Amino acid sequence: MYDIRLENITKKFGDFTAVNNINFTIPKSSVTVLLGPSGCGKTTLMRMIAGLENPTEGKIFFGEHDVTNVPTRRRNIGMVFQYPVIYRNTSVRKNLELPLLSEKLSKQELDKRVDEVAEILGLTDVLKKLVEELDNGTRQKIAVGREVARQPRIILFDEPITNIDLTSKLELKRSLKELFGRLQQTIIYVTHDQTEAMTLADQIALMQDGVISQSDSPKEIYENPASQFAGWFLGNPGMNFVPPQFISVSGSKITSKMFSQTIDLGSKASSADTFGVRAEGISVSPTEIKGGVKARVTRKSIGAGGQYLLDLAVDNLLVKARVSHSIGRSVSENVWTTIESENITFFDKSGKAI
Amino acid sequence: MAQLALDVKGLTKSYGSKVVLENLSFTADMNDFSVICGKPGNGKSVLVRTIMGLEPVDAGSIIVRGKDVAQVSAGERNIGYVPQSFALYPHYTVKENIEYPLDLSKASEAEKKEAVERVSELLRIKDLLGKKPEQLSGGQKQRVAIARGLAKATDVYVLDDPLVGLDFKLRERLIDDLRKTQEELKVSFVYLTSDPLEALSLARTVMILAQGKIVQQDSLDVVYDLPNSIASMNSLGFPEANILPGDLSGTTFTSVLGSIKVKMDSNSSKVVAGIRPEGFQVGSGSGSVDGKITLLENLGSEFAVYFNVKNTNLVTVVSRTDNDALAKVKNKSTTITFKPEAIVLFDAESGKRVGQGVSHV
Repeated sequence: MYDIRLENITKKFGDFTAVNNINFTIPKSSVTVLLGPSGCGKTTLMRMIAGLENPTEGKIFFGEHDVTNVPTRRRNIGMVFQYPVIYRNTSVRKNLELPLLSEKLSKQELDKRVDEVAEILGLTDVLKKLVEELDNGTRQKIAVGREVARQPRIILFDEPITNIDLTSKLELKRSLKELFGRLQQTIIYVTHDQTEAMTLADQIALMQDGVISQSDSPKEIYENPASQFAGWFLGNPGMNFVPPQFISVSGSKITSKMFSQTIDLGSKASSADTFGVRAEGISVSPTEIKGGVKARVTRKSIGAGGQYLLDLAVDNLLVKARVSHSIGRSVSENVWTTIESENITFFDKSGKAI
Repeated sequence: MAQLALDVKGLTKSYGSKVVLENLSFTADMNDFSVICGKPGNGKSVLVRTIMGLEPVDAGSIIVRGKDVAQVSAGERNIGYVPQSFALYPHYTVKENIEYPLDLSKASEAEKKEAVERVSELLRIKDLLGKKPEQLSGGQKQRVAIARGLAKATDVYVLDDPLVGLDFKLRERLIDDLRKTQEELKVSFVYLTSDPLEALSLARTVMILAQGKIVQQDSLDVVYDLPNSIASMNSLGFPEANILPGDLSGTTFTSVLGSIKVKMDSNSSKVVAGIRPEGFQVGSGSGSVDGKITLLENLGSEFAVYFNVKNTNLVTVVSRTDNDALAKVKNKSTTITFKPEAIVLFDAESGKRVGQGVSHV
């Protein structure tokens, strides 16, 4: 297996720069998710790796081989798209076998490859069925299986779950996770869905305006966003941002109307402009507590796992706090909030974390 | 008592022998955000079309501000409407798109000007007014479509799943926009969706739509904590509530989770149980069971932990900061416990709530 190295990759469409001078290495035998909003350049980047687009500038290496000018069919990659590419009035087994026929395998080896892939993807029981009889989640699994069975060194996934109905989505996610855990191949997966990205990725490459703005493990990128953009994009809701008028800097020390402690940022303090805190990083008490900041509850709603999301107003600043079901149920007008220093990320004027 | 915005009574609609809406009733207050929530295939689209007057009803009344409009034509019902698909006219500017429904109802120039100003301010699209739809992003188009629906100056609006198919971050913004809009206009929003997280995020009042009927209507808190039926528990909650088959014998309920003592409020011979994901806790304790972990879904602030107990798929949630619990679910199998009170029993026939767990056996 080999890693994929992108050297000064730029792609322009007329005046529009879709991908802007990316230097990045996708490590071998791992799952890298290209995540970002529509128009960030993630699909264009993947298409260049596949050879479906030529970079305007820069080079692409698979291991030591420069593949920049190598056509798609000779790059030894598998591709799975939004809509499954499969033969409808053919059995599942036949669908999985067809791409392997050119390899002239023995019957035994052919069956082994097909059975193995079917087992991982949970297709064993439907191997004899016609594709027509199956739901679109299962069809997408077959499309995945066709690519995996060929054993290419790199497999690219372009939003494979996006168009799958809600009920099949979970099952497909489960199969992909299982598959990725067992494969040795280098996997690149494109999506705009943060849950999918955080669930499937070994590392997330977060993209914005044609560049990779941060690449890290899901845990790291969620807990330590390198920019306001990362803080906002990951999380539902995204991070709260507290503007400069709520912050005072004096030497190396920072105080704020939003918390009672003093935070020492050393020499970095002078560049602190805003700070971010996640909804679950704000602690809420229904009764007055020492060091608590009084806030008005303007709205309540419920989120995942029955937790409440509170919209809180401190002066004219609105923030969202995630609290347990019982606290959320009991609070009404006023609450008192505290924020632990470890839950605070400071950003400079340009939005970079410091 | 303040006048109701909408009072729907005994609405019935069939296509041939297929009953789609069956004696459906609900009310919506002025200055409330009401969400009608139900899984696909329960009559949502037909309900919208009958309220809007795009489809005649077989029986029942649709009382808008005290007046029954069930037999009144669509144009005269005076209900604002944001449809599910946002077909904007490609050759019109954003401003012209917003004005179009007002032109149809022969609004004056002054009225149109006022409406465009009001809705473009609310939905933050002022600087887009001169643009054509093709120059807009998906989220901008959706905001324009919502603005067009709200341009009609009225006090009752029906919104038919307007955020369906949009990506996460856009929905997050538009959810805030919609709530703010309703609060500022102080009008009645009746919003229909099949997405439980959207319903939980938007609603002050919830109506659960199941098999052509509204089976429960109450404040969000009450419907969530005290679902009166299996449809209610199952439609409102994220991740979706767990449904467990099992057997009732006297006051003992037995399922793959083992046996618990239950308190029955009504008699029932055949029951199913429901338990919300947060009803489970990772770790051992009384009544704990062994589960095989099938998927850890990373939601950011927490993980949805999917697990399997004796071939039954179940789900619980673990906070990302709960390191103890997270360490336990990283393995292939784990021990899971639950509070017996978290288990609610429903009659298998009628779906109605009949009892609740009390203690482990």
